[in-house]
Amino acid sequence: MYKKIINMLGNIEANVIQRTSDNAFIPKDEDNTDYQEYLEWLAEGNTPEPADEETE
Amino acid sequence: MTSKINALTGSGGVAIEGDSSGILEFQSNGTTVMTVSSDSQTALNRIINGNMMIDQRNAGSAATVSSDYTVDRWKFQEGGSGGQVVSVQQVTDAPVGFSNSFKLTNTTASSSITADAYNMFWQAVEGLNWSDLEWGTSDAKTVTISFWVKASIAGNYSFAIRSSNNDRSYVAPYTISSASTWEYKTVTIAGPTSGTFNTDNTKAIQVAFTNSMGSDYTSSGNNAWQSESKLGATGTQVALTNTINSTWQVTGVQLEAGAAASNFEYLQYGQQLALCQRYYERIVNTTAQAALADTYANTAGSPVPTINLAFKQTKRAAPTMALVGTFSTSNTTGSQIIFSGENTFSAYFLAAAIGRSFWYPNASSGWSADSEL
Repeated sequence: MYKKIINMLGNIEANVIQRTSDNAFIPKDEDNTDYQEYLEWLAEGNTPEPADEETE
Repeated sequence: MTSKINALTGSGGVAIEGDSSGILEFQSNGTTVMTVSSDSQTALNRIINGNMMIDQRNAGSAATVSSDYTVDRWKFQEGGSGGQVVSVQQVTDAPVGFSNSFKLTNTTASSSITADAYNMFWQAVEGLNWSDLEWGTSDAKTVTISFWVKASIAGNYSFAIRSSNNDRSYVAPYTISSASTWEYKTVTIAGPTSGTFNTDNTKAIQVAFTNSMGSDYTSSGNNAWQSESKLGATGTQVALTNTINSTWQVTGVQLEAGAAASNFEYLQYGQQLALCQRYYERIVNTTAQAALADTYANTAGSPVPTINLAFKQTKRAAPTMALVGTFSTSNTTGSQIIFSGENTFSAYFLAAAIGRSFWYPNASSGWSADSEL
């Protein structure tokens, strides 16, 4: 499973996605083998968990 | 065959032999010190950490793995329905001239070598470090792999190379003549003139040592390029995993251009570590990095200070980041990486409440950056 990450400094989506099984942060780089696995997972019809919202 | 210039001891003098191979060996009393051919190059070894000296992940500790990196750049994978359990470790048992070897131990024997069984210790070579060999073209160059190997059971084992997308494979058997004895092996492989061999920052080839391979992975022909993706030699092979506490070790792995093996290319420790860090790096210190990040949080859940750190080596691609070890924290709820690039990464913790918030990595803790192939 994966989860989106928000960069709260600019409230924008970070350039990484979190793999929830081991809490690793995977960059959105198509030469990264973990990101290639994520893209395959997406292609199978899966959807990542939404990012946490900033708490005021 | 090769031509030889041999400096003799004993009665002394120099013995010279010539043939038509175009390969010249320089020898000291019959022991080859250097080999020169038309393919000879200054930087010989395309394998990184062939002497198994760098072990950033485990620092020499044993690990039970089914699919994971062990010593730097080398990955062990096992599987199939036989039920074996394998422990892997960097050890100091090594042949003369080496300090370390990689050792696997079958801590639980498999019931049988099932068709889907596989046990492989492999390294992928990046295309940028392989493109000059012109594999997949009519100019493909011959290469030679040499290595020291030792196993608790004598007999036949396998070595294999697969192409970038596994559309070609070459499997060569090698024989361990005596159990529990270091032996030196070489295999010369003619370069393939077809197949897919990437020349960029992705995988060009996979170099694999295998044992106890099931029939699903058996080559249709040894010592030849085949249009298939196989890893085990055809013919009788040692069923290593069928014996509990059986072991297999390797070190001094060198893959070089040319039809003859040269002496192992020793690099200084720092050079070898830097080569490894293009693919995996631990950003840790042996002491705690106190006061790395300390600030006043204006709101709960806000990021408390973002740090930007540079890697020691430019990565092959933006790496997967993970926390290593433990962190000391105050008034934080969790950590995040928000950027990972080839040269830098950015991280912060989130404040639990309004007020002072700080965090820092404890001793031998920090981050790992993984950009393996």
